[in-house]
Amino acid sequence: MNSRWNYRDLYYQALRIRMVEEEIIKIYSSDKVQSPVHLSIGQEAVAVGLCAVLTEQDMLFSTYRSHAFYLAKGGDLKQMMAELFGRLDGCCSGKGGSMHLSFPQVGFMGTSAVVASGIPNAVGAAFAEKMLGRGNLTLAVFGDGATEEGVYHESLNFASLHRLPIIFICENNQFAVHSRQHERQSYSLRKHVEAYAIETHHISQGFDFCEVASAFSDICNDFKESPRPIFIEVDTCRYMEHVGTGEDFYGGYRSAAEQAEWKRQDPLIKDEALKAELAPQIAIEINESIAFAEASPLPSYADVLKHVL
Amino acid sequence: METMSYRDALAESMHDALANHSNTVIFGQGVDDFKGTFGTTLGLAEKFGAHRVMDTPISEEGITGICVGAALNGLRPIHIHIRADFVFLALNQILNMAAKYKYMFGGHYNVPIFIRAVIGRSWGQGAQHSQSPQALFSHFPGLKVIMPSNAQSILESYRYLLSDYHGPVVSLEHRLMYDIQFDVDRANLRTGEQAIASYLAREGKDITIVATSIMVLEAVRVAKYLAEYGIDCEIIDVNSTTDIDQQLLLQSLEKTGRLLVADTSWVSYGVAAEINRLVLEHNPHLLKVPSKSLGMAPTPCPTAKVMEDMYYPNLAQFAQAIIAMVGASEGDIPLPNERSMSDVYKKFRGPF
Repeated sequence: MNSRWNYRDLYYQALRIRMVEEEIIKIYSSDKVQSPVHLSIGQEAVAVGLCAVLTEQDMLFSTYRSHAFYLAKGGDLKQMMAELFGRLDGCCSGKGGSMHLSFPQVGFMGTSAVVASGIPNAVGAAFAEKMLGRGNLTLAVFGDGATEEGVYHESLNFASLHRLPIIFICENNQFAVHSRQHERQSYSLRKHVEAYAIETHHISQGFDFCEVASAFSDICNDFKESPRPIFIEVDTCRYMEHVGTGEDFYGGYRSAAEQAEWKRQDPLIKDEALKAELAPQIAIEINESIAFAEASPLPSYADVLKHVL
Repeated sequence: METMSYRDALAESMHDALANHSNTVIFGQGVDDFKGTFGTTLGLAEKFGAHRVMDTPISEEGITGICVGAALNGLRPIHIHIRADFVFLALNQILNMAAKYKYMFGGHYNVPIFIRAVIGRSWGQGAQHSQSPQALFSHFPGLKVIMPSNAQSILESYRYLLSDYHGPVVSLEHRLMYDIQFDVDRANLRTGEQAIASYLAREGKDITIVATSIMVLEAVRVAKYLAEYGIDCEIIDVNSTTDIDQQLLLQSLEKTGRLLVADTSWVSYGVAAEINRLVLEHNPHLLKVPSKSLGMAPTPCPTAKVMEDMYYPNLAQFAQAIIAMVGASEGDIPLPNERSMSDVYKKFRGPF
């Protein structure tokens, strides 16, 4: 445990995210959430650890697997639930759903379902930040699969060329849908990034929110002294299937045994006492968010036509 | 009245955008070099700073995505492509991100990016330097697409779209028009949404020609030619393919009863199809004779001049279509003796 960070606070946040997603699993068969969900279960500590260091002004661009980042960055839970339920009070008025969450009030700038597409957007926001003489940090969050897209290369190149104030976060869960990293990549992730003269870091204990926060905080302090592009690979583990609410060991592409070591270290599993203590309060908040979502009006055709131009 | 070239109108619009809005930036390959995007960005990096007029890596998708992100965070980026064909590399960012960012996040964001893409034509531009993608971009909700056909239209539409409009725009400029001088009436520049509205380029009573970009100029030429033989053409400049003025179109057809669409691209699934849809869904009885469409041959663009001249419609084919539609007997009106429209507009030798 790292004393610089309040373990209990971060635990609460990580548990809250997990319990929200477990509730989504529970109600998914009711068809109240009628859209694909890409669950973050297993990856919560990455979002919680990173966002513990950020301010609401710092901008974060993320992916379709973003329930954890949305909540960790400070996105409103009630509005997220209403968004999943397709209601008007959703954070994106029901237009986005699980794959397109956004909450600009806290710098949660948007998520793309098309892999890697948000990376250049983050670089552009960092460019504007530098040009307009402001000092907020921009984060591009993506998975290991996104590094195979051409636009990732274009983004790294531009960020380095102009020494932009951006931190690239690669959440490496080893899998693109069902394909392992070594089946897809001929390069070494960080060595490849270093070829762009971008400094890299590796956080291997992605299950430990305090460890993530601590390592990221050190990097950010250094970044503030000298804003520049930085790349951080954080190892993590997706417990559930790529999309949907189940486990997928039956698919044969990975085994439960592989995850066992990770789960053994997962504080949300390991620290049962704290979980028991905090869970009831979180459950109340989740129930309230569902009640809020269900009470929210359904959009009309006039709403369908809004926000195009 | 003042005259001004298409190129100078573009240069003035670029200058004014930078001068009037400190958050405007220009990105593009070679925007700061000695050619300055066909002369439309010359001197701007020197005057406004290299950080506002930036040469870019050869990364169309990446730079477009960077423009989107910069727009989300307070800038108004202009991104220039010296050939529209290269924009295809950026389709993911334009269609999946820029066109949808406002909508899919429930109106939280505006994405004021302005994409300039130049359509090539003539002098062997070939299959990948000559395409006109207005139909593609106009199909996707969320974008504005303009095809200015003269200097006045550039001054009007660019001023509006670069100052008072806050969504993504694709402007398709036509390379062949860059050196043409146009009359400009500065006292009467259209403002607001009117700046991109379709308008009557010529009044007439016998036939309605609906045209885009350089085909408006061709329509004016053919109208002038046929006027000598008593055929009176009305011409509508579409101006914006996403904001076609249906009322203007229907009013014109009530008068003429004949519709000819002249577009810079292929006919199928294009502007011609859309114009016909707007008429047919409203009142098919407006048409006294079947409509016609004039566009490129249904092939990729061939490079050899002799084939290229057959690929693009020429003035004789334009006149022939009109003569047939108004019912004049062909023998009475000689067709103009002109093999290639490009030869009329081309004021250069060598690459352009």
